Amino acid sequence: MIRIEKRISNSQNLKSLAKFFSFVIGILISLFFLKFLGIGLIDLIKNIYYDAFGSIYSFTELLIKMVPLLICSIGVSFAFKMKLWNIGSEGQLYIGALASSLIAIYIPLNSHYLMIFLMFLAAFIAGGLWSGLAGFLKVKLNVNEIIVTLLMNYIAILIVDYLVYGPLKDPEGFNFPYSKKFTDIAKLSTFGDTRLHTGIVLAIFLLILYYILMEKSVWGYEVRVIGSNPNAARYAGININKNILIIMILSGGVSALAGFTEVSGVLHRLQHSISPGYGYTAIIIAWLSNQNSIGILFSSLFMALIFLAGDTLQLNYQIPISMVNAFQGILLFTLLTGDFFINHKITMKRRKNA
Amino acid sequence: MLKKILFLMVFLFTFNLLYAKDLNVGFVYVGPVGDGGWTYAHDLGRQEMAKLPFVKKTQYIESVPEGADATRVITNLAQKGYNLIFTTSFGYMDPTIEVAKKFKNVVFMHCSGYKTADNVGNYFGRMYQARYLSGIIAGSMTKSNIIGYVAAHPIPEVIRGINAFTLGVRSVNPKAVVKVVWTNTWFDPATERNAADSLLDVGADLLTMHQDTPATLQAAEKRGKFVIGYNSDMRKYAPNGFLTAPVWNWGVLYKEIATQVSNGTWKPSSIWWGLDKGIIDLAPLSPKIPSEIVKKVELEKRDIISGKNKIFVGPLKDNSGKIVVPARKVMSDQELLSMNFFVEGVQGTIKK
Amino acid sequence: MEKILELKEISKKFGNFQANKNISFDLYKGEILTILGENGAGKSTLMNIITGFYRSDDGEIYVNGKKVTLTSPKDAIKHGIGMVHQHFMLVKNLTVFENLLVALKDKRFIINKNRYANIFLNIFKKFNLNIDLDLPLWKLSIGEQQWIEIIKLLINDCQILILDEPTTLLTPQETEFLFKFLFELKKEGKSIIFISHKIKEVMEVSDRIVILKKGEVVSILNKEDFNENRISHLMVGTVLKNKYDKDVKPSDDLLLEISNLYAKNDKGLADLQDFNLVVRKSEILGIAGISGNGQKALAEVLTGLKDPYKGKISLNGIDITYGTARQKYIHGIAHIPEDRKAMGIAPDLTVEENLILKNFKDKELGGILLNRKNINRYANDLVEKFNIQYGVKNAPVRLLSGGNIQKVIIARELSENPTILVALYPTRGLDIGSQEFIHQTIIEHQKKGMSTIYISEDLDELFKISDRIAVIFRGKNMGYFEPDNVDKKTIGKMMGGIIKDD
Repeated sequence: MIRIEKRISNSQNLKSLAKFFSFVIGILISLFFLKFLGIGLIDLIKNIYYDAFGSIYSFTELLIKMVPLLICSIGVSFAFKMKLWNIGSEGQLYIGALASSLIAIYIPLNSHYLMIFLMFLAAFIAGGLWSGLAGFLKVKLNVNEIIVTLLMNYIAILIVDYLVYGPLKDPEGFNFPYSKKFTDIAKLSTFGDTRLHTGIVLAIFLLILYYILMEKSVWGYEVRVIGSNPNAARYAGININKNILIIMILSGGVSALAGFTEVSGVLHRLQHSISPGYGYTAIIIAWLSNQNSIGILFSSLFMALIFLAGDTLQLNYQIPISMVNAFQGILLFTLLTGDFFINHKITMKRRKNA
Repeated sequence: MLKKILFLMVFLFTFNLLYAKDLNVGFVYVGPVGDGGWTYAHDLGRQEMAKLPFVKKTQYIESVPEGADATRVITNLAQKGYNLIFTTSFGYMDPTIEVAKKFKNVVFMHCSGYKTADNVGNYFGRMYQARYLSGIIAGSMTKSNIIGYVAAHPIPEVIRGINAFTLGVRSVNPKAVVKVVWTNTWFDPATERNAADSLLDVGADLLTMHQDTPATLQAAEKRGKFVIGYNSDMRKYAPNGFLTAPVWNWGVLYKEIATQVSNGTWKPSSIWWGLDKGIIDLAPLSPKIPSEIVKKVELEKRDIISGKNKIFVGPLKDNSGKIVVPARKVMSDQELLSMNFFVEGVQGTIKK
Repeated sequence: MEKILELKEISKKFGNFQANKNISFDLYKGEILTILGENGAGKSTLMNIITGFYRSDDGEIYVNGKKVTLTSPKDAIKHGIGMVHQHFMLVKNLTVFENLLVALKDKRFIINKNRYANIFLNIFKKFNLNIDLDLPLWKLSIGEQQWIEIIKLLINDCQILILDEPTTLLTPQETEFLFKFLFELKKEGKSIIFISHKIKEVMEVSDRIVILKKGEVVSILNKEDFNENRISHLMVGTVLKNKYDKDVKPSDDLLLEISNLYAKNDKGLADLQDFNLVVRKSEILGIAGISGNGQKALAEVLTGLKDPYKGKISLNGIDITYGTARQKYIHGIAHIPEDRKAMGIAPDLTVEENLILKNFKDKELGGILLNRKNINRYANDLVEKFNIQYGVKNAPVRLLSGGNIQKVIIARELSENPTILVALYPTRGLDIGSQEFIHQTIIEHQKKGMSTIYISEDLDELFKISDRIAVIFRGKNMGYFEPDNVDKKTIGKMMGGIIKDD
């Protein structure tokens, strides 16, 4: 008889090691398949490395991809730390993008910094209120935040769609679903002649803030106590409802900032599909990293790399996109399995015939 | 003398061939090549072009999102030495222009947009001409006088197609109406099938569509209704109900552009070819279409090619009955490219 | 009479803890046999062995004279042994019919509803039960749900029915009906193992009683030998009075006064009813009682986790029953909760972080940012003082052993020198060493003037540590005793609801 049991003890080092190994196993499985497709492994690794780190340009592209992932996963991690399952990061990103676009399009300002600041603020407030609603419903009516945040994703995306097909459509844009392009005042500045925008600075700043708040501050300690055991928290005199509200607002506000950096730093306008699922990938990142700040950084970088490696596979080896998606799936799968075995062990129990 | 000239011509010709620039051609696709529709049609064109002797290599990247990622992918192609790059969706317009600024030696061709630059041209086909012809068939074949149109996004390209189709329908059957359902997606077979079913449910006995997958055809086939495809000859998806399909022959255009770039005669321009050049056409008509209708379609096709029928000619009323194009006025290309109203006979809405 | 079940020398160890030791007894056909014992006497372990949840380390089980190996509850059912658990295993959203069908072992692939409905209804009729098969289960009363549990065993043709503390949740009327039901079953020739610690009802219903103490059978009594005094004596044991030599005496000043207190549990039933208690300064007041008689509610009310709805609590003369005073003073009451992992700690946080749970708002430890240096120093002091053993630095506290987790909680709770400590079963499940340590720590603090409300089921330990003992039964204080002037028998009887002038 095979039984699955929870592991009673394991060290943090073992955990990190196991995560690393499951990652390696995932890579090996993928490579094994690629080998069958007749692709040289060394060559492949070289190419992926080159496409991600080979030049300043490619590295900045990696970072550009990482920015929204990093910001969203910080947002998600705030909530996950308290075991509050905000899976509405995607919608919050859209709301943030919408709010900053409205400022950029309708508020005539001459000061770049004031404009950027207002766009930032608008995104944060809009996203915060948006997901704060889910927090409010949880506190007041005990409505499950998973359902609410998930469904609000669709609402947010449809609102943005409605606006770019309707009222926000650029009158000079041949009736395509794009808003007016932002003026330079509303664009984040870039480094040199790369596309890398100052959103990366914001992302790193948010990460540091996350680290200080969650690991260093008394308030973060309260949040972690609630996340670990609400009963103990209540007993220690921590106000759980208040913290649910604060965390949901913060979580949504931060995720919304990813929308701000995307429209202001990369797209320079509001359009039909702003995000290819950054908010959902962020959930995986927050989970993979255990909401640890360094882990969030590296997991975001890793997910961005996986995206870029997909380009490389297609470009250099003519591997179809469905194959690329399958490899990405394999990697995630092994990571998840690895985590399962970190927390559980399988024991074989023989039936003893007395 | 004649010999000399002939010799010179042959010499120049071979010289040209010998010194023609070798091309590595990259394509950026919005969907997977297996979609059976839009991207598939482009890929057929790519394969045709790849047979040209000076085209050394062709490469595509599929399913590239229309946003921040497009810029990276296009840059990647340019960096890897592709000197002619086709970007085949409207959303790639700004990324194409942006990347083109950094790669002056690379020629970029963007499909379905309107911007050009020193090394960027754009291209599209007057698909509305073929839509009009398919409308004639639809108007003749419908019994219930309700025709369903599954449409992706309310953008000018799609609206233009719907209008041309409806004008075709109404030219033979003024009582017929065209009902439009928006799916808000180019590529989502399930949503498309639902939309098709809902149109059949309200009495449509003939469907057509502007989507990237053949889901609409499958839905119509299942219910035993006639259907007109799009993008490529899709008869295998609806062996019984398939009537025809306005199709793209991108190969014609891709070969021409590759040749121009190769021999150095390429200039940035907006190419908008029609039936005359063969970039668009109707797929072979189903034998179920009566011969007099086939004949009518052939006549109309000749008139369009000769320029006698420009299709969008006033008086045109919008679907609220207001005259939007006065009598005898021909709509300019600029107006066609930003079309944002439905003609009389279309039942549906466009957000303003 | 015919033996239906024989247990021979059953033993079971969990780690170093001997839960069952050489248990042997027989069960006859058509008999109601009661297993009587205190909490922790090994009743549940034994029943889990009989129903195949656990495997015994040693010993043999015979059903109908044949030796059997039970590896799962399914196995047990196959041999005709079924159990009604204290917490029902029913699906609340399904109907009665569906719940029964789920439990039915031999089903045909295609369900003929009428056929099965008839089988079920026949059983209902036989026992005069009146239940609509199509009612969703949640609409049934607790008593009715219990019938369904029993019927689940009957439809699978179980001959041995085990009922684990079946009367705990029942009203007196429901209890009475249950007993009638059991007598019916007995007439049918079923054998019943009844588990309880309520002496009175046990005497009423059983044919024989097996008394367990600390994992061993101390006695098996026949109906004619039933005698309250004797039973409670056997159950609680005759360990010699063993008392700590404390060189501290409680003062005569009152510290805490609880009068006419009422509290409800989640189900809206009364947990505390007209409860009165007086605690003096620097006193260890033991509270004896069988768990489930309001102890948990008492602890929760005193530590601010639950609000009373009637009555008064005053601390040093200040009314702290409600309002801001409650907020302010209740926090100063230290608490060792019943369920260490579920209440006392934040399991994913480190030992250090758990040690500051009560005073993390202090200026020295935090403010806005946590002062790691001071926290570590503070925590290290406590770790040393309370001899908390933990392996990896920064490891989550859940990885510690039970005894060490309890030490973390006690270290934290006592570090602030509270005026009063409420300890709810603080030594449950701990080894002797840890128990001793906890007792000594509490006595240590008594010397510093701390009062303790020490709630336990273990009379030995209450006699050892308490200055006075109060007995709680059905949410009421039954009276105070000085451990020197009372024997355990009297207290044991009162814990079972038998009044002392009896």
